Amino acid sequence: MNVQRLRLLVQAISFVLLIYGGAVAIDFGSKLPTFSCAFVEDVGGGCFLIALQHQLARPLPALLGTMGVTLLVLIGTAALLAVVLNKAWCGWICPVGFLQDLITKLRNLIGIDLSRLPWSSVKRYRSVKYVLLALLILLPLAIGNLGLSRDWTAPFCQMCPARPLLPLLKGDTSEFHVDFSSIPTLVLTTLAIVLAGLFVPVSFVKRRFFCSYCPMLAFLSLFDKVGLLSLRKDGQRCTRCGSCYRACPMEIREIEEEKVKTNLVTQDCILCLRCVESCPENKALTATFLGIEVFRASEAGFLERQSKKTEQ
Amino acid sequence: MDLRKMMTIGAGRARGKGEASAAAQTGGGPQADGAASPPKPSKSERLANKVRINLDMTVREIFDGIEEDRTRPDGMAYFDRIFKAFIHGGKDVVRLEAGRKMVGTYCVFVPEELIYASGARPVRLCAGSYESVEIGEDHLPDVACPMVKSEMGFSTLPILDFYQRCDLVALPTSCDWKTKIGEILAEHHDVHMLGLPRIKELEASRDFWLEEVLRFKQSLERLTGKRIDRKRLQDAIRRVQRAQREVHRFHEIRKHTPAVIHGRDALEILNAYFYDEVEPWTAALASLNEELEQRIANGVHVAKPTAARLMLTGSPVVFPNWKIPTILEELGAVLVADEFCTSGRYLSDMVSLDEGTLPDMLEAIADRYMLPCSCPTFSNTTERRDRVLQLVEDYRVEGVIYHVFKGCHPFDIEMKTIETALQKKGVPMLKVETDYAPQDIEQLRTRIEAFIETLKGRAGVSA
Repeated sequence: MNVQRLRLLVQAISFVLLIYGGAVAIDFGSKLPTFSCAFVEDVGGGCFLIALQHQLARPLPALLGTMGVTLLVLIGTAALLAVVLNKAWCGWICPVGFLQDLITKLRNLIGIDLSRLPWSSVKRYRSVKYVLLALLILLPLAIGNLGLSRDWTAPFCQMCPARPLLPLLKGDTSEFHVDFSSIPTLVLTTLAIVLAGLFVPVSFVKRRFFCSYCPMLAFLSLFDKVGLLSLRKDGQRCTRCGSCYRACPMEIREIEEEKVKTNLVTQDCILCLRCVESCPENKALTATFLGIEVFRASEAGFLERQSKKTEQ
Repeated sequence: MDLRKMMTIGAGRARGKGEASAAAQTGGGPQADGAASPPKPSKSERLANKVRINLDMTVREIFDGIEEDRTRPDGMAYFDRIFKAFIHGGKDVVRLEAGRKMVGTYCVFVPEELIYASGARPVRLCAGSYESVEIGEDHLPDVACPMVKSEMGFSTLPILDFYQRCDLVALPTSCDWKTKIGEILAEHHDVHMLGLPRIKELEASRDFWLEEVLRFKQSLERLTGKRIDRKRLQDAIRRVQRAQREVHRFHEIRKHTPAVIHGRDALEILNAYFYDEVEPWTAALASLNEELEQRIANGVHVAKPTAARLMLTGSPVVFPNWKIPTILEELGAVLVADEFCTSGRYLSDMVSLDEGTLPDMLEAIADRYMLPCSCPTFSNTTERRDRVLQLVEDYRVEGVIYHVFKGCHPFDIEMKTIETALQKKGVPMLKVETDYAPQDIEQLRTRIEAFIETLKGRAGVSA
């Protein structure tokens, strides 16, 4: 089974459904734990973070009352979806992830080599996504309760590069602007434009560069342990050959280093399963759903995939 | 030659190659009787002659013994040919086209894909001959392991032809002995030292090792005058991977009970890879694999189903030092697996291409030669422990023989860790410390026999 081809297909279908699906009345709601931006006209299914940020911007009594139920339904739905597919939302569905993978494909076609960050940098900047997640919860709460300016409304959406980028795919350039109405909007929207501008060149050299800092990944990583889809490792079978690390677009070293833990859905893992494909040891890595094996590393599979790479 | 300009040691080669092979010819085996005319051979030539004659006898004895074995597959003939050629100065061991460069390698850290991509031919020089140990002892302290002594003997005196014919010798700093023999070898060959880090888990170690691999690539490009580009390297990787595919098929075959091939033959097959070009070797193993698969289908085996299934780990066994495997198989046990860098795990780990660019290939090569390697020279024992445990599981091993050369400290130090891990799994282990000398054969036989007896006892109890 060629998992990467399957993944690309799933990504492409998800992309079309999410970005263009609205036009044919497809609607997956607006509670999806993935970066399918609500600013895209007729989006086929929207990212739940915008709703989350809006709903949190209310006074505490309201949040503890009926509004709280709406909020719980929102978070509950996103959490449930997160538990079912785990971070396959990132690796298999997310349109922003797909775009980055496409840019990587383009780079491969041209034959340019990738770049990696030093190990220490990967580790240092890992917490950025949690800080962003905390801010996108705390700032709206401050609006509703501490009188923070309304200019901070949906602060993450204002700075998110997906907001200018994804509508662009429908020819909509209206989100490509800097909002000069106040200092916060100026800062946040400028950030969005800068990130969107960097998106293509940086993704070109560094695989999945945005994902490492994505607050959605931070949210999804809260369910690493309970996700129905999982990535397992049998440490004894691992020779630490490093093949998985080199294949990993998120540059996760635990996948290669870990010898004891069995759950390898680490905080940055996007479950793309490239590690499983690149592993030459029988059953050293396994993808499971509800504990049932769906894909596993095998010597035979490794040899077959390698020969495709060397015989071309 | 501008070889001297690069970071290789080995400015002054004492003996030119022509001279060396001339010496090899004047000495050679039975023809020596006829060559009574002057000039009188020097002391070192006389010593080389003596070693060559002794080596001839050892090789003949080994094959006399083997030829009595009626259970051997026909496919072994190809591999036998290579080792039988050790007689008469080994002129036919390595067959090389005229003008093609030959790169001698030590240990399992020298990337042969690069050598093939440069157009040269790798020949692994790790040696197992007791006969040449004596010469090595002139250069090294007593406590040095027999393998470096033996290699030293072949490298410094014209005994085996192909040792003299190396255009470049690639020597990794794997253990203390290997680190220090470079300077001595440099008096006879151009030597390229490859710096091997000891803590392989560090990012700096990986970067350093990749730099070393790149430096070796440059060294080879200068040697052959051929640029190692993406196409050539991909081609070399493919050639070696094809060989490895057959090796993996062979490993699968060896898992079968009862065994369809002797462990000593398995050692011989992998050992033969030292000397031949990758394609003919691959083809020979492919046809042997077919023969063995046929054996499985027909129910032909070389050992009784009840034969004790043993595994070897520790210091590597290289031809003609077949003491241990021969003893244990003569005692009716069957050697089903080994974890030697010269056989069991020699071609096991593979280059794993990801994006397939030239930098990706070089990185994949660097990684393949260092990261999964379970050589005890590295600071951690985890990989080796796990590899041994996994082999025990996969090959249903009943007892492990831990083979340590006198003077091979890294393997000696790791012994306790491996023993403890095996104990936890309830697998008995016997430590055997020896060298290449034949004197302790009977003593070893007694100990191994007793070990096999205890295994039988255990099997009886559990049955």
